[in-house]
Amino acid sequence: MSNSLVQVFNAQSVAVVGASSNSEKTGHTVLKNIVDGGFEGDIYPINPKADTILDLKCYQSLKDIPGAVDLVVIIVPAALVPQVMEEAGAKGAKGAVIISGGFRETGNEELEAEVVKITKQYQIRTIGPNCQGFNYTPNKLCASWPLIKGEGPVAIISQSGTVGATLEMWAESESIGISGFVSLGNKSDVSEIDLIEFFAADPNTKVVSLYIEGVKDGTAFKETVKKAGDTPIVILKPGRTKKGRKAAESHTKSIAGSDQIFDAVCKQLGIIRANDITELYDYSKSLGFLKKPRGRSMLVITSSGGSGIIATDVAEANGINVVDLNEELKKELVDVLPDHCVVANPLDLTGDATAERYKTTVEIAAKDDSIDFFLVIFGDPIPRAFDIVQELKQQTRKEIVVCYLGGGETEKEEVQKMHQHGIPAFPTPERAVKAVKALLNTKG
Amino acid sequence: MNELIARAKAEKRVLLEPEAMQLLAEYELPVPTHSLVTSKEQAVVAAEKTGYPVVLKIVSKDILHKSDVGGVKIGLNSKEAVEKAYEEIMENVREKAKGAVIGGMLVVAHAPQGIECIVGMTKDPQFGPAFLFGLGGIFVELLNDVSFRVLPLTKEDAEDIIKETKGYSLLKGTRGQSPKDVEALVGLILKLARLVEENPEIEEIDINPLLVYEKGILAVDARVIL
Repeated sequence: MSNSLVQVFNAQSVAVVGASSNSEKTGHTVLKNIVDGGFEGDIYPINPKADTILDLKCYQSLKDIPGAVDLVVIIVPAALVPQVMEEAGAKGAKGAVIISGGFRETGNEELEAEVVKITKQYQIRTIGPNCQGFNYTPNKLCASWPLIKGEGPVAIISQSGTVGATLEMWAESESIGISGFVSLGNKSDVSEIDLIEFFAADPNTKVVSLYIEGVKDGTAFKETVKKAGDTPIVILKPGRTKKGRKAAESHTKSIAGSDQIFDAVCKQLGIIRANDITELYDYSKSLGFLKKPRGRSMLVITSSGGSGIIATDVAEANGINVVDLNEELKKELVDVLPDHCVVANPLDLTGDATAERYKTTVEIAAKDDSIDFFLVIFGDPIPRAFDIVQELKQQTRKEIVVCYLGGGETEKEEVQKMHQHGIPAFPTPERAVKAVKALLNTKG
Repeated sequence: MNELIARAKAEKRVLLEPEAMQLLAEYELPVPTHSLVTSKEQAVVAAEKTGYPVVLKIVSKDILHKSDVGGVKIGLNSKEAVEKAYEEIMENVREKAKGAVIGGMLVVAHAPQGIECIVGMTKDPQFGPAFLFGLGGIFVELLNDVSFRVLPLTKEDAEDIIKETKGYSLLKGTRGQSPKDVEALVGLILKLARLVEENPEIEEIDINPLLVYEKGILAVDARVIL
């Protein structure tokens, strides 16, 4: 059943019902994003009052479209949605995205039930209603907003359009990209369960990130996550406090449930739980790009003493071992490093550190079996940081986690290059360390 | 369906304490020696057979919190003490739980001091049976130091639910204290999981206190709600 989501996300033709020429309207934004996103299939705006919108020929209704329509995006008043869905069914649409609100979330249960009935009758996989659409970058199909084009390994599933859009925008501005974004809305048909299943099997996705306020079906949720196998899943589920839970329940009419029990479920299923949007983003980034170290012993190499200490504290509090250096390794490093370097863990290469000095250090330390991975902190404007990290990543199997801060314009350039080449860089030591913790807590 | 559960269900009531203990025992959870009696004379006979000191507890489907109505007497060291306690409990219950149907009284062997823990199961509307573990007293009451796991429960889950609590350091043995029988505790949680899986009619279980010793454990008090 859910396999048909493959056809929905890979639609070759899209109709936008309620397309508008008014640039302030959602019906315009969505159509424009599909066009500007570079969608290569057929695009059909439906608007009985316009001849063309964005230079595309408009149609009176779905019936009038000459060819097939795989996906129907609906942005019309709620009362008109059932009729549009009927037409979509008659047209043989495989999927629908109902952006319109005014259903269960406003007490209009009957109208939603009517839509669900049509959905089932024609077997149309339906996202929403009351949602922000979806974006699937491998198909250049952004039936959503904002327009995000960069392809990457992270799939975002969100019960809040804004939380999802925020993650998309961070991913876009850091050039790490996304594979997809789906706004869940009222989950009248497609729920997080179908989407976990789809993205876990999607070759373009390496990590599935969710913002959810409640789980619709606990048993199905557990089974789907188990079947997702090695694809890591990160979840931000608020409602940890009594009032937070109440707010979640009134937002999307979700049953927030006991937070302690949800936490237990996550632990048992190997789901990584994020506490806030930043963690959700960082964990997705590390799980999407880094390989899991074989153990928890970390060597911190830094040009900033303070950052090294912060990293050490956060590591120790999170069960990551900042190992004492072997005497042999220490001796070898003392021999090659300038006298003012502090050869310990954290290893302080000090403020005049060059990319070369980092490289030498990692090359020597990589031979030491007591170290599982490196946290490399560039704490000053250090050019060529990207070059040496890329080289080192090819030389050693030990994972290198990068933190870059305090580096001004050089930092911006180097970090961008890293991100464009699939090397994640974190902006603070604590975020870098927590991102590795998430990686270490994944199953497998 | 388990016979005890079927009977209680037919009578629309929770399991009485002796029934709860029997159910636990059927699944090899260790419970103290106990006998159900319906007279003062029987109570004395049972106490002498069990060996002093003993505990006397009221058995009634209408009384959920026995201590609140003066339905429990502990540390009874002699025939006289048992007789006196029996009378006092009957009087207390008549006064504080008017109209309660009395099923008799339970004579329970005194349990030596151990580390008090709580093990329970509640049904989560989304994820089904969820198990709780915590150390008794302030750990649960003041610090909310409890941990949860849901079915199906692996051995690793049963270990983690214990190790995750802060109170675990007490079980591990700190400040010269000897380590306690965590392995038996893990075993009990797994047996309880089996009990819950095989008896879906059970809505809630509360084993409180569960005493943990250097060697062995004892489910001193158990409540089973259908």
